[in-house]
Amino acid sequence: MCIIGPGQSGECRVRINIDGVLRTVVYGFPCSFNPYDPVEKKPLFHFLPGTKILSVATVGCNLHCLNCQNWDISQRNPEDSTAGFLPPEGLAKLAKKHHYLSIAYTYSEPIIFYEYTYDTAKLARAEGIRNVLVTAGYINEKPWKHLLEVVDAVNIDLKGITNDFYVRVCSGTLKPVQDALVLAKASGILVEVTNLVIPTLNDKPEQIRKLARWVKENLGSETPLHFSGFYPQYKMRHLPPTSLKTLEMAREIAISEGLYYVYIGNVRSKEGENTYCPECKSLLIERVGYTILQNGLKDGCCPDCGREIYGVWK
Amino acid sequence: MTRRKFVQKLIKAGSAIIVGAWWLAKKTAPRKFVWAVKTKKYPGCLKPLRSIYKQSKWGG
Repeated sequence: MCIIGPGQSGECRVRINIDGVLRTVVYGFPCSFNPYDPVEKKPLFHFLPGTKILSVATVGCNLHCLNCQNWDISQRNPEDSTAGFLPPEGLAKLAKKHHYLSIAYTYSEPIIFYEYTYDTAKLARAEGIRNVLVTAGYINEKPWKHLLEVVDAVNIDLKGITNDFYVRVCSGTLKPVQDALVLAKASGILVEVTNLVIPTLNDKPEQIRKLARWVKENLGSETPLHFSGFYPQYKMRHLPPTSLKTLEMAREIAISEGLYYVYIGNVRSKEGENTYCPECKSLLIERVGYTILQNGLKDGCCPDCGREIYGVWK
Repeated sequence: MTRRKFVQKLIKAGSAIIVGAWWLAKKTAPRKFVWAVKTKKYPGCLKPLRSIYKQSKWGG
């Protein structure tokens, strides 16, 4: 939480105290709008696989990750940015008109364009369109619970498993993110977790084991966990990209800790992109990058052993 | 002053202090959930939507 003085903006750059009234300058003004994103790019592997998702973002973020891959929008002042005008009614209508099944509030941080996200999600839901948040989950309990009422699925970044990592790399703290994850899971919506593995900062086996253990104990074995490969970006150009070997090691550790669905992202991996049945180990969904090669699920269940697979499949 | 009246006054004063302290704490503590009001004008540059999605190269 930041205390915003008169005439000042918060950490996020887009919420301003004008004469004692908190104002958002990005409501209805997305800086990013993509009608072509596959849902797998979010990444969501257990939510309407193979579908396109209308993706939208405004500038600003309440974290300042040194490795941010979208820093040119997340760390930009609104006055230095370019945006379009698309109010919630327009966005919901557009999604309906073009038969989108879902809208993603993504790229930067939907929590800082909270009102825009909430109003759009409410209208979209009334039109039968699902809502997805791709977020760092750095939010207080009350607004989070309120937002979850209009959301169908979330991918939350669990960037590290120590508070020190959050303080040093993200200018945030760990506890609110863990609380947001637990609350989201308890609310009954689909939750997937992403951990960006950064060489030397959070790639040690014991750190990965601790993170996987926390996910299993607090969110359950069926929660999908994505280990994403880091690429030198923003203020972390001095570090090398994450090797496939490290990501495969992370996946093996998480599986050995009892997680059922562990994926590898941002690099090509044969097994790390597929979904397997945790019971009989049958290949259920075969992926290459964001493309689905085959989807063998039958009504959300394994066709071989009949086990129900966690997810939103239709 | 009788003992009874003294106790009554003591309870009143104590209650007033507690209520006052609670009110002060509530007023001074930052509010956690404030719905922001939207502004009509965007402070940056406005362009048509097609120009916005032409630049879509973001992850996530």
